[in-house]
Amino acid sequence: MDQMAPTAQSLASPIPSSPLPNRAGIGLKAQHYQEILDTQPNIGWLEVHSENYMCTGGPTLKWLTALRERYPVSLHGVGMSLGSAGPLDQAHIKRLVDLDRRIEPGWVSEHLSWSIADGVYLNDLIALPYTAESLDVFSAHVREMQDALNRQVLIENPSSYLRYEHSVISEPEFLLNVVSQSGCGVLLDVNNVYVSAHNHGFDPVAYLDQIPAHLIGEIHMAGHSQTVIDGRTIRIDDHGSPICGEVWALYEHLIKRTGPKPTLIEWDTNIPALDVLLGEAAKADAIMTLCGQRETHRACIG
Amino acid sequence: MLALAELQSSFGEASLGGDTITLAPAIIGDGLQAEQRLSIHRNNTTVLLCEVLGTTYPVVKKLVGEAFFDSVARAYVRAHPPRSPCLFEYGGHFGDYLANVPAVAELPYLSDVAKLEWAWNESFYAVDAEPLSASALAKIDPETYGDLIFTLHPSLRLVASAYPIKEIWDVNQCGADPDARVDLNEGAQRLAVLRAQTSVTFIELSRGGFEMTAQLSAGKRLEDAFLSGQRLMADFDPTATLSVLIRAGAFHTFFI
Ligand SMILES: [Fe+2]
Repeated sequence: MDQMAPTAQSLASPIPSSPLPNRAGIGLKAQHYQEILDTQPNIGWLEVHSENYMCTGGPTLKWLTALRERYPVSLHGVGMSLGSAGPLDQAHIKRLVDLDRRIEPGWVSEHLSWSIADGVYLNDLIALPYTAESLDVFSAHVREMQDALNRQVLIENPSSYLRYEHSVISEPEFLLNVVSQSGCGVLLDVNNVYVSAHNHGFDPVAYLDQIPAHLIGEIHMAGHSQTVIDGRTIRIDDHGSPICGEVWALYEHLIKRTGPKPTLIEWDTNIPALDVLLGEAAKADAIMTLCGQRETHRACIG
Repeated sequence: MLALAELQSSFGEASLGGDTITLAPAIIGDGLQAEQRLSIHRNNTTVLLCEVLGTTYPVVKKLVGEAFFDSVARAYVRAHPPRSPCLFEYGGHFGDYLANVPAVAELPYLSDVAKLEWAWNESFYAVDAEPLSASALAKIDPETYGDLIFTLHPSLRLVASAYPIKEIWDVNQCGADPDARVDLNEGAQRLAVLRAQTSVTFIELSRGGFEMTAQLSAGKRLEDAFLSGQRLMADFDPTATLSVLIRAGAFHTFFI
C-alpha cells in the first residue's frame, strides 16, 4: 500500500489561518434562536447542520442570517456522502454552494463516512472500509466538493460501531492520506475518537497524537451514550448528554499539543437549556486558556 | 472482497430491514455477531427517520398514539426511504400512504390531516416573496378585471377534505383545550395554507372559492376561474373570496 502513505511534502501544506476564532462555539438549535439573539452570549461562534438550512426560504433561514450578523458560523454537512461509490449528488452540491455564498461561513465541513446507497439517504454516518478503492473515491469526492465551493473543507473522523475484514490501514492513516490527496483539513472529533477507541479497543491518545496540529481546523466535543449488546458495552455517539470526564481529559491532552483551536460543543438530542451549552463552552475555553498557552507561545517564536 | 458499490448496496438494504447475507462476512465480529453490529446502524436509520416523520406529522402522531405511529412510520421509511439528505423535504407521500393502511381505516380523516401537515411543512419552507398589496390592484381598470392572471404566493398550498381537518388540527395543538371535541359531521373543509410572513395560516374557503383559487393557481384568467367556481356553487360570491385572499397575502403578482 505504498500509494497510501502520506508524503511529507503534502502534509507540510498548512491551513493558512483559522477562519473561526480559537475559542469554543456551540451547535445552533431552533429552541435557542430567540434567546441567543436577545441575550447575545459571549461565545466564539455557532455551527449548524448545512442540510437544515438548504430550504429556499422561511423563518429558519431568516434566523440563521440574523445570527450570522452577530457570530461567525461554521457549516457542518451530514449529507454529502463523500464516501459513496456513486457520483456526488450535483443538486446537493449546488445547494451547498448557494448556502455557502449566503452565510459566508468560517468553515465548511463533512464526515469521513458515507450515507447514500443506490440513491437512498440512510440518515446515518457509516464507516468506510479503509482500502485503496475507498481512498480514491473519497479523495476524489473531497476534491470535487472543494472545487465546487472554491475553498478548503474540513473532514471529520466518525464514530464507528464496526470495522471491515478488508480494511488495510487504520482510520487516522486513512484520514491523513485523504488530506494529502485532496488538500483538505481535519475536523478532529475527540468524542468520536473516544467512542471508536472503546468500541474497537485501540488507544485514543495514540490516535489523537497521529494528527499533526497544523492540519486541525476545528475540534468537536460531545456526549455519548452506552448500550449493552450480549454483555458487551458499545458506546453510541448520540450527542445527547454532557461531555464525559475521559473526553475532557483527552481534550486537555490534545490542546496541550495543538494550542487553542475552534472547539464546538455538539448537542443534538435531548437538547438542554442554552445555559448548559454555554457552561460546556466555558469549560472548553478555560482549558484552552490554561493548557493552550505554551503552544501558542512556541508557535509565535518558531 | 466486496467492491465498495456492492458493499454499500447490501448495507443500504440491511439498514432498511433487508437481509445481511452478503454483507456479514465483510464485518469483523470482534466479540459480537456482524448482525448485532449492523443492527446499530439499522436502528440509526429507522429510528431517526421515524423521528423526522414525527416532527413533520405531530398531529397524526397524536391522533394514532406514539406506539402505533412508530410502527406505521417504520413501514413507511422502509417503503419510501428519503432520496435527499434535506430531511425537511422527507415524507411527502405519508398522507397517500396512510390512506392505504387498513389498520387506520376507522380514522378516515387521518390521510387528509397528514396532507394538511405536509402542506404546512411545504409552506413553512417555501421561498419568501412579497405579498401583493390591495393598493396595487386598485390602480387596475375594473373593466379589465376578468383578464387578470395572478401569480400566487409561493407558500400557498390547497388542501380539501370531506372532514373538518382544520378543527382536528386546532384541537391537537399544544395548549389547545383538552376537552375540545370535533364533530366529524361538520362536513367538508377546503383550506388555503399560506405563509405570507413568518407564520403559516389556514384560510377556510367555500366550495366555489376553493375551485376559483385552484384555477387561479393553474394560471387561469380571473373570469374563467370565477366561472369554474360558479359551476360548482350557484351562489358563489367571488368578491368575498378575493378580498379574503388579498388581505391574507395569497397573491404575489398579477398581469393582464
Ligand atoms: Fe462531530
